[in-house]
Amino acid sequence: MNISPEKATWFLFIQGDLNVFSSLFKGYYPLLHNYGYKITADIALTEDCLQDFFLYLYEHRKNLGEVDHVKSYLFVSFRRAIFKKLKEKRKFIFIDDSYEASADFEFSAEELTIQKEFNLIQKSALALLLNQLSAREKEVIYLKYQSALNTKEIAAVMNISYQSVLNTLQKAFVKLRNTVENDTIRAILKEL
Amino acid sequence: MFLNIVSYIKMKETNDQFLEKLLNDSSFENWVLKNNKNDIVFWSTYLKNNPDKLEVIFTARSIVGGILFKKNSLSDVFVDEKFNAVLEKIQLQERQKGIKLAHQSKIKTLKIAIASIAAIFLLLFAFNGFDDGQVTYKTGFGETLNLKLADGTSVVLNGNSEISYQKNTPREVKLSGEAYFIVKSIPSTHAKFWVLTDDIKVEVYGTQFNVRSRDQKTDVLLDEGVINLVLENGENKQMIPGELVSYSKEHLTHKKIDKSLKYAQWKNSTYIFNNMPLEEVMKYIEDTYGLPSQFENPEAKSLVLSGGIPNENLNICLTAIQKSVGVQIQIQEDKLIIN
Repeated sequence: MNISPEKATWFLFIQGDLNVFSSLFKGYYPLLHNYGYKITADIALTEDCLQDFFLYLYEHRKNLGEVDHVKSYLFVSFRRAIFKKLKEKRKFIFIDDSYEASADFEFSAEELTIQKEFNLIQKSALALLLNQLSAREKEVIYLKYQSALNTKEIAAVMNISYQSVLNTLQKAFVKLRNTVENDTIRAILKEL
Repeated sequence: MFLNIVSYIKMKETNDQFLEKLLNDSSFENWVLKNNKNDIVFWSTYLKNNPDKLEVIFTARSIVGGILFKKNSLSDVFVDEKFNAVLEKIQLQERQKGIKLAHQSKIKTLKIAIASIAAIFLLLFAFNGFDDGQVTYKTGFGETLNLKLADGTSVVLNGNSEISYQKNTPREVKLSGEAYFIVKSIPSTHAKFWVLTDDIKVEVYGTQFNVRSRDQKTDVLLDEGVINLVLENGENKQMIPGELVSYSKEHLTHKKIDKSLKYAQWKNSTYIFNNMPLEEVMKYIEDTYGLPSQFENPEAKSLVLSGGIPNENLNICLTAIQKSVGVQIQIQEDKLIIN
């Protein structure tokens, strides 16, 4: 008789239970808001899109099908919705319609906190380094560490393979470590 | 040349596999986060003995450590407003479609608990009579009571506790003391389940959880499912399994259970204590059995208890405590003497 709470939530949501819908909304709105703003850098657009998105979910709930993992489902669908909205506003020109094109995230020092590995460099310096990574690397880092998605979920959201996600993470951190080590040495040399 | 390419590809593959293994290994995680002495020793040694794996290990360590971001900063009020805006639109549409929502009037007050998939069980009889439509169950010191409420929810009531509800609202229970709930939900009627204590209201759906309300403080520890707490000041707090919320007079703590957290949980006739000083453990015993403790040796008060203490009766319970921390407990008529 053990139905996962996730499946229970979704089942009730499809029935039209407004209280479940409220929980879903309040639970995921902040995460998606942050994600949308990261992609578009436009608060009004993000909030507009979010409202339409949740409305759409509720209106079409009966046609959404089985959802095994609510979090990645919401991220995937919202990402689609955001890109669609961006296209409408012509802020983004796709060469093709694939999800390969990721928006260009910008990280800021304000959203970082005390780091484990990179704690000797300033947050502003770290933000700068992060922004030098590729768009894909930035998005993977964002989804993994800010939105707390696991590798499988990230693969689903970005429409890339599981191995791709791991490779991207690897590349990103190797780059970061190398840069930090070089810059530190350089900084030390500058001081002399 | 061909052999080199093949061995390079093989090496890359094994490196990839190794990286994945590392990332999924909790002992490796413990080494990175310095959580566990044994794991720290193991991996430090491994690193020394396998210098060829240095790169992969350092990369895996970076990934596990990650980049730390600040938490999301949207206020609850803001999100509530956004939700209400969406809700208005939904209601508008529904009205336009000419469909009357069964729960339209209830939408205004969203302090409603939810039920998930359910089954319907037989009624149990009330402990007291049915006068003025209220049903009450009460346990004396040292008693436990297994209940199935009128709606099918299972409740185990610990000693010195009381639970009551009105007959016409069987899914709204008042609790003083301690109980463990397994709530069944009823999707056909969208019936809500609430637990009310002096400090907070617990909004429930499809969950198993422990509520302890004593001395003007309420603790809720969630095992399974999702619950929403409505505090005295109207604030909402959502919980997920493995979390403990403690609320008393406007002071709230919300923690994730981990090995270092001090907490107590009561479930399946067993007390589960973690990092709990004996003095506090004995306070739990006093609440449940009505016997205060007298410590002959004041140092014993700070002995730490971690583990499961069976709670079927006082003797079993005290024997377990004695064995666990190495004290002697003598039962006297109105108190316990601890050496």
